[in-house]
This record gives sequence, C-alpha cells and structure tokens, in this order.
Amino acid sequence: MDRECVSLLPRVCEVLAASGSSLPDDTSLEKLLDWFTGLTKAGTSLLESCPCLLEFISTVVHNTALDPSILSFTLRLTGFVAVTEVAFKVLQESSVLDLVFNLQHWQEAGLWEDPCIRIGWIQGLRTMMQHPKALSFFVQADFLQPLLQLQTDKSLFVASAANQMLAHVLLSCQSVSSVGSNDVDEEGEDVGRSGGSIADLEYSAVTVETNQDYAAVVTAISECLKKSLVPRENTQLHQSLQILKLLALLLAQTRPPLWEKLLQMVADSVDELLVAGYSQLILPLMDVILAAYSCDVNRRAPDQRVSRLLSFMLNIRKPADLIQAAAAFLRRGLHDLVHTAQSARVLLLPLDIITGLNLLTTTADEQRFLMMEQLKNKTSCISLICVCLTNTPQMTLMAADCLPCPPVLIVTAVLSLLKLCSGDSSSPSSSSSGCREVSRNVIGSSKVQKCALDALTALSGSPGVEVKLAEVFTLLVQCLDNPDSDPTVLQKSFQALVQWMSVCSDLSSITDQHRQDLLQVVRKRSCDIRWEVRDSTVEFLGRLAGVRVIQTTAEEASDASVAVLGGCCFTTPLLRAALQDTESYVRASAISALAQTLAASWQQGAALTQEQTEIVNQLLEVLSWDTEGFARRAVVRYFIAWLSSMSSHSCVQSPASSSLLMPSVRSVLSRGSADLDWEVKVHTLELAELLLDEAFSGQRGYTKGNPTQTHPYAVIPNTLHTRTHNEEDVVGVLNSLVQWGVVSALLSGLVDCDRPVALRACRLLITLREVVCPLSLGALDATAAMATVARVTCELPGCGWAREIRKMLVMKAKDANAEGGVSGGEVVNCDDCGEAGQEAASVGGQTPCVSVCEVLRSLDLDERLDVLTRSSDHVHNSPLSLLQDILTASSARSQPDTQQEVIADCY
Amino acid sequence: IGKITGCVFPLQGAGQDVGRSCILVSIGGKNIMLDCGMHMGYNDDRRFPDFSYITQNGRLTDFLDCVIISHFHLDHCGALPYMSEMVGYDGPIYMTHPTKAICPILLEDFRKITVDKKGETNFFTSQMIKDCMKKVVPLNLHQTVQVDDELEIKAYYAGHVLGAAMVHIKVGSESVVYTVSVNKYAKSHISAWIDKCRPDILISESTYATTIRDSKRCRERDFLKKVHETIERGGKVLIPVFALGRAQELCILLETFWERMNLKAPIYFSTGLTEKANHYYKLFITWTNQKIRKTFVQRNMFEFKHIKAFDRSYADNPGPMVVFATPGMLHAGQSLQIFKKWAGNEKNMVIMPGYCVQGTIGHKILNGQRKLEMEGRATLDVKLQVEYMSFSAHADAKGIMQLIRMAEPRNMLLVHGEAVKMEFLKGKIEQEFSIDCYMPANGETATVTTNPSVPVDISLNLLKREMALGGPLPDPKKPRTMHGTLIMKENSLKLVSSEQALKELGLNEHQLRFTCRVQLQDPHSDPDTLHRIYTHLKSVLKGYTIQHLPDGTVMVESIVIKVSSSAEDTNAKVLLLSWSYQGGEYFFTALCIVKRLMYQ
Repeated sequence: MDRECVSLLPRVCEVLAASGSSLPDDTSLEKLLDWFTGLTKAGTSLLESCPCLLEFISTVVHNTALDPSILSFTLRLTGFVAVTEVAFKVLQESSVLDLVFNLQHWQEAGLWEDPCIRIGWIQGLRTMMQHPKALSFFVQADFLQPLLQLQTDKSLFVASAANQMLAHVLLSCQSVSSVGSNDVDEEGEDVGRSGGSIADLEYSAVTVETNQDYAAVVTAISECLKKSLVPRENTQLHQSLQILKLLALLLAQTRPPLWEKLLQMVADSVDELLVAGYSQLILPLMDVILAAYSCDVNRRAPDQRVSRLLSFMLNIRKPADLIQAAAAFLRRGLHDLVHTAQSARVLLLPLDIITGLNLLTTTADEQRFLMMEQLKNKTSCISLICVCLTNTPQMTLMAADCLPCPPVLIVTAVLSLLKLCSGDSSSPSSSSSGCREVSRNVIGSSKVQKCALDALTALSGSPGVEVKLAEVFTLLVQCLDNPDSDPTVLQKSFQALVQWMSVCSDLSSITDQHRQDLLQVVRKRSCDIRWEVRDSTVEFLGRLAGVRVIQTTAEEASDASVAVLGGCCFTTPLLRAALQDTESYVRASAISALAQTLAASWQQGAALTQEQTEIVNQLLEVLSWDTEGFARRAVVRYFIAWLSSMSSHSCVQSPASSSLLMPSVRSVLSRGSADLDWEVKVHTLELAELLLDEAFSGQRGYTKGNPTQTHPYAVIPNTLHTRTHNEEDVVGVLNSLVQWGVVSALLSGLVDCDRPVALRACRLLITLREVVCPLSLGALDATAAMATVARVTCELPGCGWAREIRKMLVMKAKDANAEGGVSGGEVVNCDDCGEAGQEAASVGGQTPCVSVCEVLRSLDLDERLDVLTRSSDHVHNSPLSLLQDILTASSARSQPDTQQEVIADCY
Repeated sequence: IGKITGCVFPLQGAGQDVGRSCILVSIGGKNIMLDCGMHMGYNDDRRFPDFSYITQNGRLTDFLDCVIISHFHLDHCGALPYMSEMVGYDGPIYMTHPTKAICPILLEDFRKITVDKKGETNFFTSQMIKDCMKKVVPLNLHQTVQVDDELEIKAYYAGHVLGAAMVHIKVGSESVVYTVSVNKYAKSHISAWIDKCRPDILISESTYATTIRDSKRCRERDFLKKVHETIERGGKVLIPVFALGRAQELCILLETFWERMNLKAPIYFSTGLTEKANHYYKLFITWTNQKIRKTFVQRNMFEFKHIKAFDRSYADNPGPMVVFATPGMLHAGQSLQIFKKWAGNEKNMVIMPGYCVQGTIGHKILNGQRKLEMEGRATLDVKLQVEYMSFSAHADAKGIMQLIRMAEPRNMLLVHGEAVKMEFLKGKIEQEFSIDCYMPANGETATVTTNPSVPVDISLNLLKREMALGGPLPDPKKPRTMHGTLIMKENSLKLVSSEQALKELGLNEHQLRFTCRVQLQDPHSDPDTLHRIYTHLKSVLKGYTIQHLPDGTVMVESIVIKVSSSAEDTNAKVLLLSWSYQGGEYFFTALCIVKRLMYQ
C-alpha cells in the first residue's frame, strides 16, 4: 500500500466523518471502496494498515445526522474491514460491529427508509461473511428475518442484493454444517460456488451448538421458500418472482444433501405454481427447473420430479407461456433428445400455422387450435413469431432426429413469412381462413421482418440449405425493392445477401435476371433519400467485393461483386458518386468500399487505369478538404490497404503503380499528420509504420511493431537476419524515408497533444533509432559507417511541431553543455536548431536541416515512452489522486468566500 | 383499472443520482425506455445502466417496445450504442432530427476520451456508433408517430438545448408525458408549447428543482466581464469545451461582444469539429432559441469574424488571447497542453463551463488544488485564475410549475434531483395542484392506477329496444346505464341483448330460481298466516304488484311466497320464498318485511 495514501487517509476519514452533505462528486465514495476492494483482494488487512478506519467507523455510526451516502459507505467499508477474523474480533470487541449492523439503530434514526442504507447494510454483511465468526454473528443477531423481508424491497437493487445475500448465507451454512456433521459429499462438485471464499472457513472452529444454529437458518430459509413461493393473491407475484430467482441461484449452487432437501421442500409449491399458471412467472419458473435439471444431469441419473416438471412446462396449455418455456429450454443448450425435440416442435408450430407449410407432421389438435387462437391477436402473434424466428437457426444445427423437418423447409418457412410481411399472399397459407386471418397480422410488421432477416442470415450456415440460394436471392431483392421497407430492414437484407453469397460460394444458380434485378435495386438504393439506406448500400458494395465465389461457367474464383454486379465498371461509378454524398458517414463508407473493390486489382499488380488515378486525386482532395473525420480516416485507411497489398506482393518498386502510389503516400503522410482528427493521425502513423516495415524488413535491429513488447531474451528468428543491408542501403533507405515524409510524420506525432498519437510515434521513432543508429554502437562518429548514416538530414520548418522539436533539442543541448558531457558537443552540432537558427530560418525563409540520427538520439525517446505509456491515468485514476481530490474538495467548501456551487450538470 | 409504472433505472446502487437518465415506463402493456444515459465518472461497466435487471433471460428487444431519447447530452444518450450494439437491443429508437445529427459527434468525442485512457475496455467503436444511429427513427415536432397499433408518441419543443424534446406517449386512453430539463423560457419560443393533454403522469427531471438561479443573462454578463478584464490586463483566457453545444453559444456571445466593444485580441477555436457543429446550428435554426434566431436574421451569426482556427504554436504567442480548446474536462489533449503552458502566470484565466469528473485536472482545479502532479512526477504550479460557470438551461421550479399548469397531469413523477430539493418541490406541487407527486429513488418503481375508458360497441337492436322503452337518444356527454350481455371476442367488446348473445353463442336459455326458508312462530292457521302476510305487505309495499293467488300463494312481483307448518308443532310456520334471478331486486325488500312480520 502506498505510503503517501496511508498518510492521507486519516485526514480523508476526518473530512468524511465531518461532512454534513454529500461530496460534490458522487463517484468518490464508490471509487474509495474500489480501492479498499483491491487492497482486500491483495491480502492487505485494512485494519492493520489503516488503523484510522476503526475510529472512523465508530464516529460515523454514532452520527446519524450525516449524509446517508456517507453512512452507506461506512456500512460497506465495515464489511471490508471485518473480512479477516482478526479484524472482525477487534470490531466486535470494540462493540462497533453490533451498532453498525443494528437494524434498530438505523430504524430509530429514520434512515432505514433510505434505500442506500439498506443496500449498504446488505453489502456490508455480504462482504464480511467470509468466515464462520461472521456467520455466527449473522445467526445470533437474527438477521435472517429482516433479510427475508428485504427480498421484496421496493428498490430493485436492494431486493436483488438481498437475494444474493440469502443465497450466500445458505451456501455458507451448507459448508459449515456439512463439515460439522461429517457429512461431506466427497463427490459433490462445487458447481459455481460463490467465490472461493467459503472454502476458507475454519471448519474446526465450529461447535455443535452453532451447528444447530446453522441448521435452523437452513430450515428457516427453506420454510420461507416453501411458504412464499405460491402467491395468495396477485399483489404477491413480486414475492414469488424473487423467491424463484433465489431458488434458481440455490439449485444451481448447492450440493446434494441440501440440494435434495431444498427440492423436496419446494416441490409441492412448484407444482402448485405450475398449475396456477401465472404467465409472469413462466420464465423464472423455467429457470428454477432448468437450474435443477442441469445440475441434475451433471450429477447422476435425472431426478424423476425434475423431469416431470420439465415435461409439464413443455406441455403447458397457454401458447405464449409454452413458447417462452421452449425457448428457455433451447437457450440452455442441454443435451436431452426428448425435451429438445419437444421444444423444437413447440417453436416451429407458429411458423407451421402462419406459413401453412407442413413443418410438423403431427401436432395435437388442441395445441394447434389454441396456438391459432393466440396468433389471431396481432400483438401476441408478432411477439410469438419473433421468439420462434430467433430460435430457428439454433434448431437447424441440432441433431437431425431432434428436428421434425429438414433445415431447408425451415428456410422455406422463413422465406414465405417474409413474403407475408410484404403483403404477398401467394403463399400456401391462403388455404385456410384461420391461417389467412393469422397471416394478416404480420403484414407490414418491420419487427417480424427484422427478426426473419436475422434468422435468414444465420440460417445460411445450416446444413443443406445451399439449394435455396436462388430463392433467397430473389426474395431479398424484392425486400430491397419494396418501397415500404424501413432502413433497418434494408440494411439487414443487404447483410443477409452478402452472408448467403459468402457461405454458398457457388453462384451457378443465380441467373442473369437475378443479376439485372439486383443491379437495378442497388442503383435505386444508392440514391435513396435516407442516408442510412445509402450507407447500407455502399457498405454492401464493399463487402460484396470481399466475398470469394465460384462461377461454374468461368470455373474460376472471383469476388461476388464481379460475379453478380459485373465488378468495377458498375460499382466504381456508384461509389465515386457517393464520395460527393452530403452525409460524411456515406462518404467514409464509399472510400472503404472503393478500397475493397480495388483490392483485387492491386493484388494482381494490374496497371492503373485512368479512373483509379482520378480516384486517388479525389481522395487526396477529401483528405485536404473534407470537414469531417470519418471520411478523412477512411482515406488514410485506403492508402494503408493499397500500400500493404502492394508490399505483400513486393511490388513497391513496380513502376506502374508506384509512380502514383508513392507520391500519394507522401502527401497523405504530410496532410494526415497535420490533421485535426486524432484518429487520422494515428492511421497516418500506421501508414508510416508500413513504410518502415517495408524499408527495413530483415534489417538487423529492426523489430516490426512495438519494440517494448519484445522480451530482451527472446529468440529472434533467423529469417530476420537473412537480408542484411550495408551502410549504403541504410543511408539510401533513410534518405527515402525522409523524402517520403515518414520522419517528419513521426516527429510531428511525437509532440502531438493526443496521447495515442504521441505514444505510437514514440515507439516508431525508437524502432527507427534502433535500426539506423542504435545507442549501443556508441558515438555517431565512432565508425565511418555510422558517420555516413549520421549525415542524412531532415528539415525542421519554423512552425508548429517542428518548433517544439527544436525547443526540445535546444534544451537537451543546454543540459548537455551544462554537464559538459561528451555527447553534448554532438547535439549542438546542429547549430541550425538553436534559437539563432530559428530566427535565421524565419528571416531567410530557408528551412534548416538537422541530422536524423542526432535528433533520434537527443529526444530522450525512452524516457518519453515511459511517460506516455503510463498515460494521464497514472495521475488521474490513482488512489492518491482520489484522496487528494476529496481533501481539496472539502477545504474548498469550508472556505465560504471561494465556495461556488459546482453543479454536476450535463456534458 | 389500468396501471402505469415508472421505474427509475439508472445505474447500480440505490438512492437518487443527479442527472444520469434512464427510465423504464410500463403503460398499457407496453414497455418504453426514456433516455439511455451514461455516467462519465466511471471507467468500467458502472458507467452504463445494468440492463440485466430488466431482462435476465429474454432479449431486450423482446421486452422493450421502443426507446425515446430526449436530447443529445451524454447523460441522456451516452449508453445508446452500448445498448443497441453490445447488449443487442434491435428495436426502434426515437429522437428528434437535430438530436440524431448531433448525437454521434458527442459520442465520438467521448469515445476519444475513453480510448485515450489506458485500460479502457468494453467501449463502443466508431462503427457501432454509426450502426446505432442508423437504427434511429427521427421525430418531427407535433407529429404523431405510431410505434405500433397501440402505442403512439408525439414530440414537443422543450428548449434546454438544440433539438431537446418533450414526448407525449399514449397507449389507448392512458398517457405519459416525459420532459427533460424544461425551462421557463421555452414557452416564449414556440407558441404551441404543449397541448392540454392531461396525461396520467408527467415525468420531469428536477435537477435544479428549487434553485432560484441568477438568470442566464446575468451569468453571461459575468462571463464577458471576466474575459474582458483578463484580456485588458494582457492575460490569456482558456475555455475548455466539448466540441458541440455550449461551445457554440459561448462563441456567439464573444463574437457579438468583440464586435460591440471593437476588441482586437484574437479568439481561437481549437477543435476541428466547429464547422460541422455550426453547420448543424444553421440546419436546425428553427430549433434554436429565440436569441440565436434573432441574431441570425440580422447577420449570418455562424460566420465568425473574430474567431479563427487555432494552431498549437499560437499558444506561445505573446499578448492576450482567448482560446476554446477540447476536451472540456482538461484531462488530455489540446486543452491540457495549453493549460500546462499558461498555468504558471497569474494574469491568465481558465473558465470551466461544464461538469468535470473526479480525477480530471478540471475537477482538481475547480476544487482549488494549486499544485498538480503531472506525468513523470513533475509538479505544476497553478497560478492562473480558475472560474466556473454553468450555462446549462435546466428545469427550475418555475418551469416545472408552468408545465403542470399547461398539461394538467393527474400525477407527477420527479426524477434526478437531490432528495431534499425534490421534497420541497413535491410539497409545492401537491399543495398548488392537489395531485400526487412521486419521487422514486434509483431502482424504485412508482405505480399509478388509471381508469382507462374501454370502448364497447352496442348492438343496434339493444339501442332500438331502449328507445322503444322511451329512453332518451344516446348522447356522448350524458353517461347512462344500459343492460345487456357483454361479449368479449377478438379484442373487441360488444354489448348485446341476452337473446342475441344466446343466438351468437349457440346456447339454450335456462331459468334459475332461488328459494329461501324462513321460520316463524305464529298460532294462526296456514291460510290465515298467509293472509296476514298479504295484508301487511299490501300496506307497506306501495306501488308493488302484490297478489293473493287462489292456489294459496302470495306473489310480490315475481317472488312467490308460500306458508306451511310442521306436523309436530303447528305454531312453527315455515315461509317458502322463491324468485327467479330477474326478481332478485325485490327479494331483499320482501325479506325485510317478512322479518319485521316475524317480530311483530
């Protein structure tokens, strides 16, 4: 623990204990507790290291006039302090503990009404309850009853915390009593036991007497569960809900003797609850049954009671409840053939009814009739269908014997549902009047459409559905063409289309007509009035270009964009038009899509077309003039993609493209590093990194990426050393890096005020230094080779970042001169960068040059990296900063003349 | 009886919490989330609402019918991309056009702050912000939007900030109005403020519930005075701001002041987003407040003459200047860099126009910390003047009271304010308007019962029959009782005659008769007893048809009365009463009388 923090803590405690009102920042206390949590987890005894806490707690607990938030904090703090037995004893002996957790104390002060006191009480107890002594304290103080009452507290948070606490108590009692009575189930697995903390209980310390107490607690809790589970009237549903939640927690975590006991206690009540058929309780009830069931399955042969309950749930009469139960079962993903098959049948029934497709060969007539009646109600129809749709993809991946029909039929059903949504009545369901009535409910429902499209996208991965590609294609194009489709439906349709094409890869079933239709609809949507739609369309064009497909006719792999849209000649003009879009999101998507579309031609090293040249010029313009970051970021990413696809094919030197690429990269580097948007700058540095990689790959001392991540003793693969550059190479490469503007970009990044930019630049500069003039090689003129490299210079213009760099160099030179060190003379060597030089430059209009190596060596990069890595968080998020803030805030408030209401208002 | 519940649902931890909005309203079976704000003071999941309290099992999309965002401040919309892209809510999201345009700028701005820090996890990306915004359905003022067949919403102007809206949410005959920080100025801006919609609940934020704050104009004057003084003595003024919102308002203030006073000191704006922000202010000029609009008509207010783009090297220039720089909490970036340069000179000034979270330099200096530990263990001496000014236009007591007067809600729900202040306002509202006022703490639910009117169709036959009986013509203004059989079928209710109901349901008619035995002691013979009863009834039941039938029974309307005596004791008489269910209404009258007879 930080000594400075320890020394500040007593004063902070004083301030907190004396403050009548809450702190100006509502997070301070919470963060203080975070710090204590961390300390406790690290094994620090709070009472030993901060003895002032005891006094703080006892002062505060007597002063009920304090702000409830401080009191709540103290309750929770007490829990942390008493987490060790020793500290617990100290607190108990000083009779602080009794008062802190004394309910009457808080009730009499009228504070119990405040939810933050109640939650503080629960959480304090919960934290403390890690050893048998705390458990005895809990039992003897008879806290069980109030805790049970808090379970139905009007505050959601209090009720939930009380439930967690009850589970914790019961599990703690279980451990203790099972050890005490030598009745440990050796094979019982600790299924998800809460933390490892209970394991630390000192079993030996448990006396028979307390053991009886624990048994009493267990009985009391189970009695309560049994008694309160079934609501006597509708107003008690909330209580049943809470009990069910608790029961689910317990059944998932308890071990056999207790598990059996619990189940036995509540079995009748659960039965009763099932029969009563409260729809609100279906899901929590299912949770309980599934918790018991999965526990059971993991343990031994399934318990008959649990299986029976489960079967009951999957045969409930109320259709809405039935669907919920079946969906809940499937979500668990249990391996149980019978129930899985049953759930699948339940979930497919609404689809079967609405589409009129025979998904299910047999269903009980009654169930079908009830479901049909339910589906006639529009609201419940929509919600039921959505639940079913959400579960279809998972169903198709199940074992074939669980599924009543082949996955292809499910795809057909989803397709015909989508048709119904768009008002197409030619589906088979028109056969019966009931079906017609039901299917009317989904017409125009974008909620169902969205669900169906999500399902359709996910269904593309189901076995044997490829045959449906043409049908899916037709339907999605229809969706896209439908004037009533909302933007999200259109987006999802595009996504589904890409997904199906990428999964099915064989596009032989797609006819020319299909292609024509798609072309038309894409053209139409690319100039939709809503930017959301235009953006989705442009994104689609980009994604499509990234999908590899096979066309049987050509027997050759190509991308889907070429296969279905005819490739660049169709997409590029659309995308270029989108570059002029009024919405910057669309412009940015268009730029990314262009990069994806042109990727193939870059990789093939194809000659640049006139169009591509024009695009590059357009993009450079965007980088200079676009008012918004998104588009400019995309431009830099475009060049990153281009450059990396070229370098991966080692054709940087290929004259066809490099004649355009390298000059463009140069302007991207200079414009990008002067951008106002930090992400543009970060991307620009990424581009610079690519150039460094390319220039020095294989060079000794060059490690790609982050130099600090390499372990000093790591084995460097031999391949890295295969290509050795001689000095001329290094000089040449460094010169070209300077010419491309890489060095300037890195230097300007280094002094950037955005930390991510500066950090990245700093890392890259260190990398560069390690390659061209590593510090380990001694002075720059130590060898002739080094001297040659040191002669490479770069410009430092008179304004902006360069001025900052110069200042740093001058400071360094001064320091060095003052020390009279050896290296000092070398740095001052760059006379130009002194104050005089600056003025000369600005007067003469000439840009002064400095040696790259000297700059790299004089900037104290390692020290800078250290500071940048620590980041501003080092100051801001430390406990020390927090304690200081609390202190200064309080002193500011105590001085009336400087007091001003600093209101926590909006952003 | 219907029920509307409103659950204040921001972050974990109980108690009232200032300003972070996320409210769940259940009305007519629909669940609506009002605002989805984040807490900027935390670096972990605590900054977002914990949606697992709403649905543990099902998907959020299944549970919620829609999300409505009132305005662009992050404490009202900051968790939206988290909710839609990370938790997976896929349903409709509503906000006004300006809010939709401005939201992503602020979300991007905050994302920058977050990823700038170390160890940030679980935060949304740029793509997520975009995808989230694509799901947003924009609202126009005074336009009713049908979310589904039953749920409709309508937005009204709320003042506060550009694009802020009140929403009227209606399901059937139940309705709720939600308003954020409405201020008393709002009304003067747009004539049709809010209809007298008499919602069941009016939910209002009450951040400044009682504060009688000095007027905004006073604050503005104070601000200009401070800036001017600093400039006059040759100092530099730093105003850390977020890209959008207050920055624009302050720019306009300074620009106008510079023009009027003919000042020469340069004003710089450092963020690259000004142009976009200004673009939006122009685009949504009808949404801005009157003052801005007025000035805009006089001259193009957003083409600033005095405010120029900032270059980082300007910070070292000698002489006075004013710089607006991001971010607003002085914790990183340009504003922090300039602050470090200027902090040592007591001639300079920094003006903090907004909230700063704990841990930021902004927070520290506002609390009067004068020695700051910087990176690398260096210490920074803060000598410059530090000023705090809040310009936010939050609700005050007057604004809320005026709103209640206009909308005439049946109940009031106050959220997000300090408990003590809210208690005061609650008293005031209950006293003046005699309506119930709730102020649930975080995580608590307030439930209000409503009496929704349920529309029922009446069959023509039944109406005709009523008219034939001489009843008045149906009049919607005069409630009256009708008898008939209510049929509930396919979500509709129909009142028909019982014959028609029988016919429609294909059922046979059955008659029900009820009987009752009353014992009494009477020495007379059975016929005498009966006759005594008959004469007595005849005397007390005036206006009833009472007959003594020859078969030894008395009939009061449709109630049949018989007398018999037991074989053993002829004095012990048993009265047998029998009536059909239609005759029920006379039964109690007859019984009372018979009983009185017994005691005579």
